[in-house]
Amino acid sequence: MTHPGLPEFWVMAIAILATIFVLHAMWSRKLRAFRFQGMALNSVLAKSVLTRPWLLLIFKLVILGVFLLVIVAGLLGTPIPERNAATVLTWNLWWAGLILAVFLFGSAWCGMCPWDTLATWLVKMRTWGKNRAAISLNMKVPAKWRNIWAATFMFIGLTWLELGVGVTTSPYMTALLSLLMIVLATITLALYEGKAFCHYICPVGRTIGFYSQLTPLKLRPVDGDVCASCKTHECFHGSDKIEACPTHLMIGNLQQSTYCTSCGNCTQSCPHENISWRLQSVSHEAIQDARPHWDEAWFMLVLLSLTSFHGLTMLPGWEAQMGQLAQVINDSGQLLWSFSIGLVVSMIAPILVYMLCIWVWQRITQSKQSFRQLFSGMAFLAIPLAFSYHLAHNLNHLLREGSDLSELLSNPLGQGALPLSSAELHARHMSMWLSQDVLFAIQAGLMVFGMWIAVKVIRHRAFALMPELQQTPSKLWPVLVFVLLTTALNTWLLAQPMVMRM
Amino acid sequence: MGVLIQHAYAHHVLGRPSYSLGEDSNTPPSMQVETQIGKFYVTYMAFPAFPQPNEAGRVNLYASRIENGEPFQGEVTFKVRDDSWFSSAEETLGVQPVDDSVFRQGFIFKEAGNFIITAEFEADGEPYIIDFPLQIGETQSVMPIAVTVVVLIVVLLLVSVLQRKRLLREKVRKARSESAG
Repeated sequence: MTHPGLPEFWVMAIAILATIFVLHAMWSRKLRAFRFQGMALNSVLAKSVLTRPWLLLIFKLVILGVFLLVIVAGLLGTPIPERNAATVLTWNLWWAGLILAVFLFGSAWCGMCPWDTLATWLVKMRTWGKNRAAISLNMKVPAKWRNIWAATFMFIGLTWLELGVGVTTSPYMTALLSLLMIVLATITLALYEGKAFCHYICPVGRTIGFYSQLTPLKLRPVDGDVCASCKTHECFHGSDKIEACPTHLMIGNLQQSTYCTSCGNCTQSCPHENISWRLQSVSHEAIQDARPHWDEAWFMLVLLSLTSFHGLTMLPGWEAQMGQLAQVINDSGQLLWSFSIGLVVSMIAPILVYMLCIWVWQRITQSKQSFRQLFSGMAFLAIPLAFSYHLAHNLNHLLREGSDLSELLSNPLGQGALPLSSAELHARHMSMWLSQDVLFAIQAGLMVFGMWIAVKVIRHRAFALMPELQQTPSKLWPVLVFVLLTTALNTWLLAQPMVMRM
Repeated sequence: MGVLIQHAYAHHVLGRPSYSLGEDSNTPPSMQVETQIGKFYVTYMAFPAFPQPNEAGRVNLYASRIENGEPFQGEVTFKVRDDSWFSSAEETLGVQPVDDSVFRQGFIFKEAGNFIITAEFEADGEPYIIDFPLQIGETQSVMPIAVTVVVLIVVLLLVSVLQRKRLLREKVRKARSESAG
């Protein structure tokens, strides 16, 4: 069965607004640097929750319980994916809903991640706070590994497992993947200081980290002056009872939340109780605050191309295309070679187009900046484009493929359950949490939001790299063309019928 | 699940099982795997989807040429073996001629377990050997959990030993520097 695509009306609306944004970006010389600093959660209740570990611990326990259920159901339950809690909870609910959760709550998921919770309990033998008797070598991560190339390759590998091998339709493989992540997180924690797995390796954590550059809710100082006058920096070094920041962040001068894991160490260790959740301007970090890095730029671009690739593989014609490729290369069976070629081509092609646009831009502006600086500096445009399509695509899964959770939780292993009949499939397809028209409007709104933020990223970052461009903004056209092409591709993907996952 | 390759022209096949229920017919739920191998699309269906020990079951195999959809008209040999790392014993279930474009093979297994059904046929002088999974009864496995627990225990023990050695070395170094000073 397929989901209907975005209607022509919304496609036209996106096209018109995208064109207006591009023309405005090429015409306007004014740069609005509006920054919203909202109220920090500073009530007595908020302080008592943030400075004590209880609430986070309750969340951790609940999520851990669900995670263990996923493993047990995956290994011992029915192989019918739509009747097994492992596949439904992992792929239909968590994987699809995670991106929405990032937009609402930033990196809060990382704070209650069951992989890290289990690893921490095994290695440190306690739920929070310091334990000097922890089983860890506490080695420093070697300098050559202090980057996110590992996370980039893990993300590509996860996509290959998800869409190529079909982990999403196998409860057993879902459970194996969960166990593998526990092993990786535990080994890393037992060897290295801080949370090297979350910082450098975890593809989910890094995806959340980059997307959280767009979100308004962040952990920040309540009063900046208190941090400015602080000499002890417990948020960074930790205190007698609380561990240091596991990703080496100093909250007082934090400009980007990419590596914040919402672990709560800083809120608990600050003697002034000066760290809390604060509302800030949406996307400000991506637009101008976050600092560019070569490895991070690649992660952002891979994230962009693989989100589009997700949509591509769910087009009704994808299997036929893979079948034709398989005949050419003499591939057979699950067509994993054909799929792998499709994945690599789909991943590399947008990045090559981006490189071409940056190269042309460098030529026409006769920039003194190196190609690498321009490549890294402008790569932040990928975040809003990837996020908006990712969320628009996932809403389809979340709203159209939602299962009857009460039925699932009453029989999480699916014992004795029959496969979905075509009538049940049809009923599930038709019973959405929101009306289809509202879903289309949200999807179109997301595409416009992504385009709008990407254009803002281009203008702010380009003018910061080359201030003289502010007098000739029309020279931004090569980078704007890339954003326009990406938005066109993603909108086209949304407008196509999409194959149901399960 | 996998395909054995007997010479250079044979193919390796991996397919993904799916489950379906035809509510308008009397057939039980089925397990189905679709694959593409060489010049053929092959569809394998097992009825029922989860047969129990001593319960009669059946596999249906459809093979059609990719280029024109023409069904394969030869014979298909069905074999079975235990799906475990250390088992190589294979038993022939039967050789089936085509019947209305379908190759049907009945079976009854006495014991629960995970098995591999191998379908073999020859077309255009090339051998095609395709493996499909078949689960009989409940075959729950806690082995991955056991393996994970063992790996974690070994890692934590190793790290603990290294940690103690390191602490000991540091103590010795400190004692030496104090005695030298």
